[in-house]
Amino acid sequence: MKTLGKTTWAIPGGHIPLRSTGHEPEFTSRDELCLLNTSDQEANVEIAIFHADREPVGSYRLKVQARRVRHIRFNDLIDPEAILLDTDYASVIESDVPIVVQFSRLDSSQAEKSILSTMAFPAS
Amino acid sequence: MQQEWINWSGSIRFTPKSIETPENEEMLVDLVRQAVAFKRNLRVVGSSHSCSQVFKTDDILVSLEKFADIESYDATAGTATVNAGMKLHDISQALLKVGLAMENIGDVDYQAIAPAIGTGTHGAGKHLTNLSGQVIGLRMVTGTGEIVECSLEQNPELLRAARVSMGTLGIFTAVKLRLLPAYKLHRQEWCTHIDDCLANLDWLMEENRNFAFYWYPRRDEARIRIWNLPGQGSTDLSFARLDKEWSGWSGEVLPTPQELRYDESEYSLPVEVAPECFKKVRQRVKEKHRQMVGWRILYRPIARDDAYLSNAYERDIVAITLHQNAALPHWEYFTDIESIFQAYDGRPHWGKKHTLKAKDLRSLYPMWNRFQEIRQRLDPNGIFLTRYLRELLVGE
Repeated sequence: MKTLGKTTWAIPGGHIPLRSTGHEPEFTSRDELCLLNTSDQEANVEIAIFHADREPVGSYRLKVQARRVRHIRFNDLIDPEAILLDTDYASVIESDVPIVVQFSRLDSSQAEKSILSTMAFPAS
Repeated sequence: MQQEWINWSGSIRFTPKSIETPENEEMLVDLVRQAVAFKRNLRVVGSSHSCSQVFKTDDILVSLEKFADIESYDATAGTATVNAGMKLHDISQALLKVGLAMENIGDVDYQAIAPAIGTGTHGAGKHLTNLSGQVIGLRMVTGTGEIVECSLEQNPELLRAARVSMGTLGIFTAVKLRLLPAYKLHRQEWCTHIDDCLANLDWLMEENRNFAFYWYPRRDEARIRIWNLPGQGSTDLSFARLDKEWSGWSGEVLPTPQELRYDESEYSLPVEVAPECFKKVRQRVKEKHRQMVGWRILYRPIARDDAYLSNAYERDIVAITLHQNAALPHWEYFTDIESIFQAYDGRPHWGKKHTLKAKDLRSLYPMWNRFQEIRQRLDPNGIFLTRYLRELLVGE
């Protein structure tokens, strides 16, 4: 399999909705990362979280095994600190091997489920 | 030059006038007698894992880091006398070499044993007491510089008062522990929805030697942790997914390595009302605190004991623990949930954050007055009382 993707990605529009409707965790409002590693090496990924009113926080470290996909909710990231809900943030994702990064948001603030999904910006 | 002292989480910072590290009991006795003579205050500190102000002082801070050995042991009787400053992790390793083990330890094991005992620190298990319940004797230097010993046989009332006393009756120098032959445990971690965890709570707590669950407030899911002797306990939780399991010596599989720094608040509640209290806490967190709080809430049963200021004094309890990242604000969260704990007759963990003072605490501990009589007798000059401890225990 050809190695796809880039090593640096950016997502400027982070904002985890505060309220949720419906049974959790399926319908928990969330921002979510989808990471695809098509390479033959495990990807060591570091995420930095940028804020509107303070210095960036990070790194949030995680791994994606070779030739695997991994979904991670920003809601669940707690190390080094939980990301505030209902607050604008952005993220920069860096990996030691090329990966493909997709971003999605499920907003269940109202009962009618709303999903947004977009590719992250491949910076380099 | 004065040195700042910072606790494990970073939320307690202070600069004592001096930091003393006595090498033996005689040096400690001298320190205490000098403190009495010069009307100084003296607080003892262990590994500073606590996030309450229990060891904070602007005067003399005494570290027992050099009291760090197994003093003696009796493998046949299943006992050992351990120096007060020895870390729980080191105790587990040293005891294993002679075929012994502690009955139970907590989720982290880098605390020194005396402060862990003295603050009522515990592990998880419906039929297992906190660490102080494993103490069958101790030796301490009182507030007048006397070396006093007590045990189940010799002055047992003093033992009941001293076990959970936060170093206010005297500074422990050694504790005698009731132990078990070294044993292995099988640890399992199961993931499920919190509703399924709560629906199965009673038998899970009963059937498993050690049991705890974490609730993750941003997923409404639970991680169930159970530890059992090989071949015992629950092996198939039909409502949950087995995430991981492994086996090893008790001292290796009971604790969980933890690098992430956090502050904690914890109350212990009667076991009968704990599920209802937890549901109220869960509801409040989801309604009011999820924006800031992403980390877990921990639920652990503990057996009753007879230490006067133990949060398990004469009642089987469940400890509910709030965690918050050390880098994030915690007081608004902790104090709001504290009101729920208090409505259920909760007793705070002495080594974690709470706002209660003597006037609030007195009615929670049936032997409060008796404890104070003993404290005043052993420390008549109040050299072990800081401003915080006076507010906590005396009410000035």
